[in-house]
Amino acid sequence: MGCCVVDKEAELKRLMLRGLDGDPVAWRALLTEMRGALTPFFKRRLTGCEADAEDLVQDCLIAIHAKRATYDRSLPFTAWAYAIARYKLIDHFRRQGRRHDVPLEEASVLLADHTVEDGVVRRDLKKVLSILPLRQRRLIEDVRVGGFSLAEAAQRNGFTEGAAKVSVHRSMKTLVASVNPNED
Amino acid sequence: MKTDDLIDALAAGIEPVRPARLDPALLSWAGGAAAVAVILLLGARSDLTQALQAPTPWLKAIYTAALAQTAIWLATRLGRPGLDPRPALFALLAVVGIAVAWGGIETVLTPPDQRMAGWLGQTWDICGRNILLVSAFAAPVVFLSARRLAPTRPTAAGLALGLATGGIAATAYGLLHCGEATAAFVATWYTLGVAAAGLIGAAVGRFALRW
Repeated sequence: MGCCVVDKEAELKRLMLRGLDGDPVAWRALLTEMRGALTPFFKRRLTGCEADAEDLVQDCLIAIHAKRATYDRSLPFTAWAYAIARYKLIDHFRRQGRRHDVPLEEASVLLADHTVEDGVVRRDLKKVLSILPLRQRRLIEDVRVGGFSLAEAAQRNGFTEGAAKVSVHRSMKTLVASVNPNED
Repeated sequence: MKTDDLIDALAAGIEPVRPARLDPALLSWAGGAAAVAVILLLGARSDLTQALQAPTPWLKAIYTAALAQTAIWLATRLGRPGLDPRPALFALLAVVGIAVAWGGIETVLTPPDQRMAGWLGQTWDICGRNILLVSAFAAPVVFLSARRLAPTRPTAAGLALGLATGGIAATAYGLLHCGEATAAFVATWYTLGVAAAGLIGAAVGRFALRW
């Protein structure tokens, strides 16, 4: 997960810096990314009133926009965005008259909520597939990840259908063996 | 409003921005308001022109202006989400520490029978009250100067703005009105007045600085 969060941070910070210079395309991309990160962040912390999450996401996006000048360029973007999201959450609880502790977490939870499943699975898959020769790997990605039929995938990668079938079968065997080293 | 529409609207209206800070023009206005409040409400000291030729009022002003400056720095750091405010807090405490040490050394060097008189001066009992009175006039402008910031801890940010206000008010008061000249007096009663302004600022900031 570590590397994905770091990649994500670099990407978001790049968008933020361009947004600060007034780039509407980067700003739109940043707000869209933040919407994706904030929605699960708030939903997870508002058990019982998930309906408020959408309002909080909007509130937070407006704050990110209106208060963008408070971003310190020497800081990770995530630290800034997390501090805003946490503040808005605390403020939300206070307005409801609820005393509610919001523990101070690592700022990276903001991205972790978003990427934890997607990111880890994708990275692991990439690592596992990397042991296959390139042509076999592309074939298996097309069939098992890309959603192509065996015939389509075979054609895309220059296999006959029969050869593709054998290749996928062998690849799966290799992959399974690589993940379960005890089984050979 | 749909979130998609919101994102479109926000992205369409984006303009380049400079890093947010306390508005320096408004801070100068706060200084002006404090000076006017001292002159109109308390009156300028009668020997003002001569007094300002001696170093003492300026030494007092250096201390209270340093308090204001470090408090402004603290407020700025508290107003930028995710930034650690502690460097500014340490600087503020160091300024107080230097003044208290100076006052202590000066007291030790004073003959014992004059120490109490030097420490209490003529006006120890009204010094803090006067600083608060002047602060009340500068405070709205100081709080207004922070409106571009985004304090995630409104009470702490209010404390910092209150201390900044107190520092500005004490500088005007020390230069234009107050004739006290010992370091022990300034380190004690000025510091307490500024601290009281900070506490009131904290109570106000808790509500006024939410965004």
